[in-house]
Amino acid sequence: MNSLSVLPHQRSERPLDLPYGTFQDLLRAKVEQAPGRDFLIFPESGRTYTYGAFHALAVATADWLTASIVPGGTISILFRNTPEFLAIFFGAVAHGVTVVPINPDLAAPEIRFIVENSASTAVLYDPDLGAKLKPLESQMSTGVKFIPVANVDDLPIVDVKAVEARLPKVDPTTPASINYTSGTTAFPKGVVLSHMNFLVDGKGMAEWFEFTPETRSLCILPLFHNNGLVVSLTTTLSAGGSIVLVDPKASLRSFWTLVERYHATFTSVMPSILAAILAFGFEGKPGYLKGIICGGQLLPLSLAEKFERRFGVPIFEGFGSTEATSYSSFNPIQVEKRKLGSVGLVLPISDMKVVDDHDVEVPDGTEGELCIRGGNVAIGYHNLPALQTLRFRNGWYHSGDFGLRDKDGYYYFRGRKDDLIVKGGEKIYPAEIENILSQHPNVAESAAIGIDDPILGQEICAFVNLKDVGASSEAQLLSFCAKSLARFKQPKRIVIINRLDNMPELPKGPTKKILHRELRDYYQKRLANSEDPEGLKWVLGTNSAG
Amino acid sequence: MMTDEELYVAISPLAEQVLQIERFDNTITMMSTPSWDSLAHIQLLSGVERQFGIEIDGDDAFRLTTAEKLMKYVQSKLNK
Repeated sequence: MNSLSVLPHQRSERPLDLPYGTFQDLLRAKVEQAPGRDFLIFPESGRTYTYGAFHALAVATADWLTASIVPGGTISILFRNTPEFLAIFFGAVAHGVTVVPINPDLAAPEIRFIVENSASTAVLYDPDLGAKLKPLESQMSTGVKFIPVANVDDLPIVDVKAVEARLPKVDPTTPASINYTSGTTAFPKGVVLSHMNFLVDGKGMAEWFEFTPETRSLCILPLFHNNGLVVSLTTTLSAGGSIVLVDPKASLRSFWTLVERYHATFTSVMPSILAAILAFGFEGKPGYLKGIICGGQLLPLSLAEKFERRFGVPIFEGFGSTEATSYSSFNPIQVEKRKLGSVGLVLPISDMKVVDDHDVEVPDGTEGELCIRGGNVAIGYHNLPALQTLRFRNGWYHSGDFGLRDKDGYYYFRGRKDDLIVKGGEKIYPAEIENILSQHPNVAESAAIGIDDPILGQEICAFVNLKDVGASSEAQLLSFCAKSLARFKQPKRIVIINRLDNMPELPKGPTKKILHRELRDYYQKRLANSEDPEGLKWVLGTNSAG
Repeated sequence: MMTDEELYVAISPLAEQVLQIERFDNTITMMSTPSWDSLAHIQLLSGVERQFGIEIDGDDAFRLTTAEKLMKYVQSKLNK
């Protein structure tokens, strides 16, 4: 595969190791090795698929999709962790179609933006979302098809070899997905990932964690984010293992039961999940669990240590981003070689370095911006040439994350170069919230910041300067946000600065840009203690556990 | 023994408060209700346990993803 035409930021000093070029090639290879081996297990619905059964389902779905899509096009999908998500994903990418996985919890205007921005020709969705999506269908000017899909097992059985013979040849560098993440402007940005990106990252992680056909991953993160699709799915598929998939929103309380009942050997979580398990006092036995893969937001050292002491399962922290498919570095599988508090060593699929503001690599121990290159690094951003040039430059992806490397080659994540808010692993730029608040007729200006949260890591607080202080309440502004923003992006708290005695306007720099850092400091010093996490207290009740 | 209707009446105040919705009925699902998130799921099940004096174990908690499933589950527990 070294003859592949890869982009400058996809070349690394390590040779590209890609035995299978596409998802379809990889799946077919695993079927040939062990068609009867368990692949996917969905405990909620009781549906399970061997490698052979899922391959047949994916091919049947590919055949059915030919009626809805054209090779090389783009479709959007809205499902939770169900067979429908995976069958449609595999069926579509087998055609060379690009899939846009969308978070079903996004608000209708957000979904519409992604569908239109990605130029999707069809939207396939869980019928439960009909009430939200049906109105969009008539609003779309481009004649996008909206197709509810209740159960892919109802699709007609096909002659697998005959359908496969009709599938177009797909190049490994073909885009497999566009994953939308929060944007520094008011709108989310699409990260374009190829088959090669997924397969390189999946294989790299599978080898790092010594996955085998006996590996069983518990997937409690959503497939519409790459952590679910790559860390749980592609990685385990690379090794020929099996995956137990549950609805992330329903899994937390059952975490240990699922680990024990399904003999999970690995799972991938956000730090907020570890915090919640501890905070709610969910007890259980690790059973066969060899490790917990963790990333997506800052993992406090005290949390990792407390969790490990309590449950005796090692946590492997890593560093990643959607732009690098998922992870690029990890702590070693050999527990004694881990450095808690570090995001580990660079995976053998990538190169990483730390640079200063002039793009010059800094000495070990010096903080700077973390940069990545290799076969797992994305093609780039969808239709955002200026941002593409800014972030993918000089043959490296510039992550916008600050950190350092120690003398032993271990990397450390320190924080963001910008004002990104990371709430329970969801990344939210203030601009998305500020854009909505700016549309309120009584808001003169606004600024959103991340504030500390004991479980989610961060929550959202919006500072608002009103034109007429008596005309809007905090509750009305929150309600206004709820109409256009997904729930997880809505501020938990609104601070009307007209009612503060020491903030006549939002703090700004010489170019009149709002200084979010000063607002964070202000909040921490003056407002943090006035916050009352009623919800948390109410939940914990008498079961509170630290 | 409670009828389904009586059970909805009993659970609705709790569910409507936790899920921040106007009406909790058999059309409500986790999928179609963004506010039914992971923390709300824990709150809802804990509240139901307290209200009815039942225990929802880990084998069941992740399956209770719709109002209908939750109601049937509570009904079966109360009938034991």
